[in-house]
Amino acid sequence: MSRTITVSGVALDIHERGQGRPLLFLHPGEGLQPNRPWLDHLARNHRVIAPNHPGFGGSALPDWFGTVDDLAYLYLDLIQALKLDNVLLVGACFGGWIAAEMAVRNTAALSGLVLSAPLGIKLGGILDRDIADMHGIDRATFMKKAWADPSNGEIDYTKLSDTELSGIARGRESLALFGWKPYMHNPRLRRWLHRIDIPTKLIWGDSDGIVSTAYGEGWKAEIPNATMQIVANAGHYPHWEQPEAFTAAINAGA
Amino acid sequence: MRTWYFSEMAYHPAWKQGIERGSLRVNFPNEAVDPVEAGKLLNRYLDEFRLCDEVGIDIMVNEHHSTATCMTVSVPMALAVIARETKKSRLLTLGNPIANRPDPVRVAEEMAWLDCLSGGRLEMGLVKGAPYEIAPANSNPARLMRRYWEAHDLILKALSTHDGPFSWEGEYYHYRNVNIWPRPIQQPHPPVWMTGMSVDTGVLAAERGHVVGTLLSGGLAKPMYEAYRKRARELGWEAGPDRFAYAAIIGVGHTREEGYRRADQIADYVRTAPLVYEPFTNPPGYNSLGANVAILKNGPRANRIVTDRHGEQIDHRKATVEQFMDTETVFAGTPDDVFNQLKAFNTRMGGVGHLLFFGQGGFLSHQDAMSNISLFGKEVAPRLLELGVPEAAAAQ
Repeated sequence: MSRTITVSGVALDIHERGQGRPLLFLHPGEGLQPNRPWLDHLARNHRVIAPNHPGFGGSALPDWFGTVDDLAYLYLDLIQALKLDNVLLVGACFGGWIAAEMAVRNTAALSGLVLSAPLGIKLGGILDRDIADMHGIDRATFMKKAWADPSNGEIDYTKLSDTELSGIARGRESLALFGWKPYMHNPRLRRWLHRIDIPTKLIWGDSDGIVSTAYGEGWKAEIPNATMQIVANAGHYPHWEQPEAFTAAINAGA
Repeated sequence: MRTWYFSEMAYHPAWKQGIERGSLRVNFPNEAVDPVEAGKLLNRYLDEFRLCDEVGIDIMVNEHHSTATCMTVSVPMALAVIARETKKSRLLTLGNPIANRPDPVRVAEEMAWLDCLSGGRLEMGLVKGAPYEIAPANSNPARLMRRYWEAHDLILKALSTHDGPFSWEGEYYHYRNVNIWPRPIQQPHPPVWMTGMSVDTGVLAAERGHVVGTLLSGGLAKPMYEAYRKRARELGWEAGPDRFAYAAIIGVGHTREEGYRRADQIADYVRTAPLVYEPFTNPPGYNSLGANVAILKNGPRANRIVTDRHGEQIDHRKATVEQFMDTETVFAGTPDDVFNQLKAFNTRMGGVGHLLFFGQGGFLSHQDAMSNISLFGKEVAPRLLELGVPEAAAAQ
């Protein structure tokens, strides 16, 4: 079940389930996939709030909206609009980048941050590619890089409705809008990660071919007192590929 | 119908290697180019363009990047040479890929400079560019057309403003002092052309009165032209054939066999030119949502199929000359054959004022290309000039 909430002029399609401490889940570039099990797992111990990002799934993308800055402010406004406090902010992949941009701005309503294989910062040199070019490889190569076992992530598009396909196609276009250049990162973000003053945990799949665990170590070094947990047999989407281990890592505390 | 000759100045010596690798573009390393050979070919192609002026046809230049199929990397650079070597031909850029250009004012400057150099012979195509041009330019495919229209508006304003400087604070481009020198001879600016494959493009071009061109499929061209005519009528004017352009491969020979052979060799271009590594064929946002839903359902190759005028599905990667003729991708034969085919095409389309004559496409030899241009220019093009609105269309 989802509902639409209009925040700062943006009609957001939001999935909610569970009771308890609020957990705001920001989905990866591949989309929310709300029918997959992880939101239910997380909802055993939390009140899960999972929006489709603007331009993904059923969420609107207004003409004026188009940057990760916009996303960060929008979700800070969402927290305020829902009168949330003591929020555990969880972001995966592209959603991790948004979560970090929120946390460097304002942690007043946040009490914990979980970044699962986040994109968003630049660590290496001018000729180094920290983040795999997901748009410069064919789908089969992408699946091999992004999954410990690519069959875990296969989607039979011929079985999906036009509405679902349209949501996926919109999401792909929107991910490009937000992250095409500089590719999936903000060159300035790394310098501000020191502002994050809440407990922060990094979660990383041991087989992530999109962003390496070494890249994760780079994040850990920039965020005060951050910890890092490796999830076995997971690629770039631990929440998707190992939902039980992912939930356990979150419940163990950020 | 006016004739505009073009070739993409291919580096065909590397095609075999590229085809074996499965990509002629973007990720085909340039170690496959012998730069000395490239220079010889460029000079040869420029000679072929110069012949157009002698035989009385116009000239079109386009550009692509990071590809063995086209060595023209800059339309103004190619036209700068051609403008000096020609006297009468009108010179068309089709085009400037303005959504991939970081600096539209620079585009306006280059176009004004060319118009001055050529004595007011410039026609200015402003195009979206092919999907595989996104990667070499690293331009964002999302909201590409929004960026296109802002660049378009800025270029036309820069060309037509003579009491500047003016400032521009848009979504994508920012300038505080736009004031180009020199300014174009043609006022308020050289004629503008666009390209497209869709009804939407037809409507948008009609709203601005631009020439709209399309290529290689009569089945796609006709609805676009019709949408243009309808929109023009709604806006209170009648769009004549001079608003429409069509690009086709043409092989003309002293015999039908020779014409077909030439067309077949040029058609290798169409068979191989789309060969590009899959992720560069459809960057997210380049195609419409509806097209992307169809691609998700049917796979990425679904859009390589063209319907011929009898309703048959033709795969452009494998088509014969005869099949290409049925999709109106190719016109071929003796000068009489080609004239009659184009006359019938003009009637089917309701009047097309500009033929973009794809007369060299890789392995066609210099001698064949020169003969193709010369025969077409002398024996077909003058008769095409007589073609106007076909009677059936005029009666509507």
